[in-house]
Amino acid sequence: MRSNNRVALTITGLALGLAMSSVRADVVAVVSSKSSLITLSKSQLADIFLGKTQQFPDGSPAVPIDQEEGARVRDEFYVVFTGQSPAQVKAHWSKVIFTGRGKPPRTVSNSEEVRKMITVNPQAISYIERSAVDSTVKVLLQP
Amino acid sequence: MLIQLTRGAGQRPSSLLYQRWAIILAAIAGCPSAAAGTSDFDASMFSFSAFGTFGMVHSSDDQADFTAGIFSPNGAGHTHAWSSDVDSRIGAQATADITSRLSAMLQIISQQNYDNTYTPHVEWANIKYQLTPEVSVRVGRTVLPSFLFSDTREIGYSNPWVRPPIEAYSLVPIDHSDGLDASYRVHYRGLTNTLMTAFGNEKSGTPAGLPNEARRLLVIADTVEYGAATLHIAYQQTYVSVDALDGLFEAFRQFGPQGVALADLYNVHDRLVRFMGIGAMYQPGQWFLLGELGSTDFHSVLGKSTAWYVTGGYRLAKFTPYVTYSAVKADSNRSDPGLSLTALPPSLVGPATGLNAALNSILGSIPVQNTTSLGLRWDFVRHLDLKLQYDYTRLGAGSPGTLANLQPGFVPGSTVNLFSATIDFVW
Repeated sequence: MRSNNRVALTITGLALGLAMSSVRADVVAVVSSKSSLITLSKSQLADIFLGKTQQFPDGSPAVPIDQEEGARVRDEFYVVFTGQSPAQVKAHWSKVIFTGRGKPPRTVSNSEEVRKMITVNPQAISYIERSAVDSTVKVLLQP
Repeated sequence: MLIQLTRGAGQRPSSLLYQRWAIILAAIAGCPSAAAGTSDFDASMFSFSAFGTFGMVHSSDDQADFTAGIFSPNGAGHTHAWSSDVDSRIGAQATADITSRLSAMLQIISQQNYDNTYTPHVEWANIKYQLTPEVSVRVGRTVLPSFLFSDTREIGYSNPWVRPPIEAYSLVPIDHSDGLDASYRVHYRGLTNTLMTAFGNEKSGTPAGLPNEARRLLVIADTVEYGAATLHIAYQQTYVSVDALDGLFEAFRQFGPQGVALADLYNVHDRLVRFMGIGAMYQPGQWFLLGELGSTDFHSVLGKSTAWYVTGGYRLAKFTPYVTYSAVKADSNRSDPGLSLTALPPSLVGPATGLNAALNSILGSIPVQNTTSLGLRWDFVRHLDLKLQYDYTRLGAGSPGTLANLQPGFVPGSTVNLFSATIDFVW
């Protein structure tokens, strides 16, 4: 079902030449509701998730949490907030891993797991579907 | 089997040493409490990854071979109409995060070796210590970041092309360092700057006529990343020897002052080699543009060369068509009158003529060529891509370019059509 959707998306993207805007953006970046972080720019978020920095702008450590590869919310997150396709993100991390420069964010299996991780770790930052937002998380950025 | 593994005499002389390294690494990785003085062992400290490429290449010139690089014995064209040796390889990596600061990595690659075997070699093997969040040091074997894609040139999946433009990337035959390196990385207001320096040696144990030893290797590289933009500058110097050429220049020295002068000028025995490269990349998302310029001065018969390339691509969903123009030129002489025959006794004219011919054949092989490439990358399944690439290469007047295994029917200065198809994967 999911792959059918993706095929449909791909075809739409090709036909319109607008692959980016054809992705329905309902993913939001979140931190713990206890986090003191108030704002984060799109590029700061991208730098954290692409491993270019391990810190929030205030200097406190940032722990990015990824959802699993192939998860729709993950693909959407990277397209919307970093401008990169799943393959580009994979290529980026391949460069980093195979030169020993670092490793990708820890991965959890769904948005519920994300919320659990975030609740116990105020340094964690991740993304979930807008519909998965509850009182335990604070929405930092939306498309 | 995509990749044929053969055992044979093809091991690098240093590979025994590296097997020992691997055992030590494994031992350290296996007893984290001993190594780190802590007891926070868990299996997740190990991670394993792999990558590979299966590729086929066809060259229109059957009187020479298009090869993966100067260390490859053959390729597409003369030896094979379609060669799978040029781009095919498989690599595996183990990483151990021993503590939050100490990690070790070992990466092994199987690809066509200079002796035509696929005996795996150790590409990376080092221990890294993160002194501060900004500073890390590594001991062991690393691949040098001479060009933007030098240290990932084997990872087809992470590169935009079938292979990095050969004109530029063949400028740096010394790609490893066995030694120390240090990296200083700062992130400030969205700008990431990484300054690294490495010091080491390389002994490659390659066959006749190729650089087989590089000593006192020094590299300084700086990479600036800001959003979608990357700028990379590298300086590299080392002392290179090609033992196989010692005999030739010894022979020149038998011809009095003029022979000694030629030998002093052209010998490749512990000669200072300098490389300087600068590259920039901009990839905001849908499209990308990148270009690099590099120059190597071998201070010897291997000459001085400058190369550059520009690549642009546009992403349409899973398809990324791209175009590249790349060129290499010789900044040094590609011929030399050699020994003057007029003053020589008749019995020495023959040997002197032979020496002059040998000298000129090496000088003449300094590559001059340019290539226009058209390619398409298709990310058809997750973690896999298919690339098709067409290269149209114009060899410089009288030059064999980067081609190897030149046959009697080879015409220098001609044009070559190259067709490549590769499948890359990462895991």
